[in-house]
Amino acid sequence: MLRSIKPKGWKIALYLCIPVIWYVFSVFVPLITAVFYSFFEWKGGPKKTFIGLDNYVSLIKDGTFWQSFGHNIYLVVACIIGQVGIAFVFVLIVNSRLVKLKGIHRTFGFFPSTISAVCIGFIWTMIYDYKRGILNWFLTATGHEDSVQVWLNNPKLVMFLVAIPLVWQFIGYYMVILLSAISSVDAEIFEVAELDGANAFQRAIYIVLPLIKNTLLVCITLCVAGNMKAFDHIFTMTEGGPGTSSMVMAMYGYKISFAQMNMGYGSAISVGIFIVSLIVIGGSQKLVNLIMQGKGVD
Amino acid sequence: MKKKLVSILVCSTMVASMLTGCGGGAEEAPAPAATEEAPAVEEEAPAPAEEEAPAADAAEGEAPAAEGLAYTGDLNLMHYSTSEESEGNGGSDGFRTMIAEWKAANPNINLVENVLANDEYKTQIATLAAADDLPDVFLLQGMNTKAWAEQGLVMDLTDIIAQSPYAADYQEAYYTPFKTADGKVYALPALTGGTCTVVVYDKQMWKDAGFDSFPATWDEVLTAKDYFSGEGIDTIAFGNSGKWQANSCFMSTIGTMFTGKDWFQSIIDKGGAAFTDDEQVAALKFAQDAFASGVFNADFNAVSNEDAREYYIAGDAAAFIGGNWDVSYIMATLLEADEEKYNNIGFATFPSIEGAKMSNVQNIGMGYGMAINAKLADDPDKLAAAVDLIYKLTGPDFSNFVATNYALGGLTAVDNVDLSAFDQITQDFYNWSYVDTEPCEIYDSYVSSAVWDVYNTELQNLLNGDTDAESVAAAAQASYEANY
Repeated sequence: MLRSIKPKGWKIALYLCIPVIWYVFSVFVPLITAVFYSFFEWKGGPKKTFIGLDNYVSLIKDGTFWQSFGHNIYLVVACIIGQVGIAFVFVLIVNSRLVKLKGIHRTFGFFPSTISAVCIGFIWTMIYDYKRGILNWFLTATGHEDSVQVWLNNPKLVMFLVAIPLVWQFIGYYMVILLSAISSVDAEIFEVAELDGANAFQRAIYIVLPLIKNTLLVCITLCVAGNMKAFDHIFTMTEGGPGTSSMVMAMYGYKISFAQMNMGYGSAISVGIFIVSLIVIGGSQKLVNLIMQGKGVD
Repeated sequence: MKKKLVSILVCSTMVASMLTGCGGGAEEAPAPAATEEAPAVEEEAPAPAEEEAPAADAAEGEAPAAEGLAYTGDLNLMHYSTSEESEGNGGSDGFRTMIAEWKAANPNINLVENVLANDEYKTQIATLAAADDLPDVFLLQGMNTKAWAEQGLVMDLTDIIAQSPYAADYQEAYYTPFKTADGKVYALPALTGGTCTVVVYDKQMWKDAGFDSFPATWDEVLTAKDYFSGEGIDTIAFGNSGKWQANSCFMSTIGTMFTGKDWFQSIIDKGGAAFTDDEQVAALKFAQDAFASGVFNADFNAVSNEDAREYYIAGDAAAFIGGNWDVSYIMATLLEADEEKYNNIGFATFPSIEGAKMSNVQNIGMGYGMAINAKLADDPDKLAAAVDLIYKLTGPDFSNFVATNYALGGLTAVDNVDLSAFDQITQDFYNWSYVDTEPCEIYDSYVSSAVWDVYNTELQNLLNGDTDAESVAAAAQASYEANY
């Protein structure tokens, strides 16, 4: 019976080859061509000069690239704590028996994730605006005129300020993922733990956390990957400024390629981003596994 | 096992998302597709309203040139005079009107237009150039001339320009951004020659501050600042969030005031001048001090010129520094919203600075020129059509149109522009732009985008007080030596 419904092997392969070809075309071809171009001095146009590894030598010495890398790492840390961490707390709250209207909390929690990054950027630019922004208005209204400043022009604060909208936007996204993970856990486990006298904090750390470990790992990986390629929010808010104070790697690659028309070096930067991102993501997975081991699972 | 599966899955998802994210440098491949779909956005029949009256007499004027065109088929044109832009912007309006007239005069040629807003245009044309897939006719930005000419992407127009029926009327000073060291010209300067640094001020507000007109010296501006800050308004509004504004609309003029014109000519010609020369460093120092003095709005580095001009329009600032495009906007907005404030508009150059060599200077020029794809050399008929098109777009028809409708100047000189039909403010701006002031070059019409990107980024830091003039000069010089 099953065998008669099951499509033939070649049919499956035929259907699969469409997305596979598309995937190869849109993902692997650009990567390989970027690697190829990165060995050239190429200012756009038909003429290229082969320069071997010179672009990579410049990349290793390029202070702005490593500064941008530092900003990406900052975003990764801020967002793991902010997005996944806060989402985890929210999930526990929403899941608690004391909370009413769970559906509404879930829906509105997810809402910011559906707004385009450019809109989010503009909304927060308005919040931070010096003359008409709600933040400075609030500070003035509460008698803190001294703290009023041009927020996005402060090199020391700008990374923190651009991280806030990012965190804010994606809490709901991780909430949904974590909620689904928790709902698949047998509710009896929580009841038993409660009867045994575990308080909310203990239940969160010793029961919920180990049980949703794999999902949490997925969330952290998504979060790291997402922030290693951060671009749109920051581009809308500061374009990497003031100076390069909020420059991130993807934006630096874009600027070198298209504002400075240095395609060869831009390709080298792209490859550089790929490599350091793989290292960071691999490292973060190892780290999470290491931490989780102490918690008695796997 | 399950764990492994999950981690493999996760890894591949993430690799996928990474790759799409970092495709920046490798995006050349999909680019050609954009040309095919983009015209659909605005591939339009001759613009309505605009072409009515001039179309008729232009058809006669064009007759001799148009008759000779043997080419039939598609001709691709890429530009950034969008229909939105053409409302109030004389250059764009004139450009679109000329295109409509040319289409009407050449029904056998299918002119395929790809129209994008300026920012997108710059990115797209750069991408197309990188992919060696430029349209037949396009607008070349001055600073790309040298690089693209070396790549063999743009056609040498020196002879074509010399053979132009309007050659005698061309104002050759405008060629400079499109000239290479060997004297070849690669584009016919297009659109209108407009200033990039003009001080727009409210006469009434400055009268209240005790000045009959905008102060002639920077020290007086500093005095005025004390009065205006007491009133709770900014003396001069400026916006530099895009980083190019402090270059195009400030340093380009201030720098020339300190260095004189020869310095920048030497930079263009690689004649030995350096960004680290004392005069340029002094100009950078002045810029840093000027922006630290409190004359400008505190958020100058966080707002764009579009925001800053609103400060002026709203009366939150007594003056504004920007380019001719800002002036068009301010005039159009005030004329509609506040006629009294409109009539109080005054124009000034940047006040003279102690220690500077020049004063009454403003940077004016034509930053874009009509260029032809070098590949057209293989198809003489098509080339003839393209040449005819660029003659038309930059010729006397265009100059007359913008002069009589907007009091603006184009590439060909228009004698005895009748200004009497315009109101006083428009006349003032015409005289200020073309008659009463000393013109100088726009920095970023020349050299290389790589140099200016570094310079602009460092300049933003400098105006924030986060670096010093010497470091900015050194960084710009390093990029100049590496890229030009």
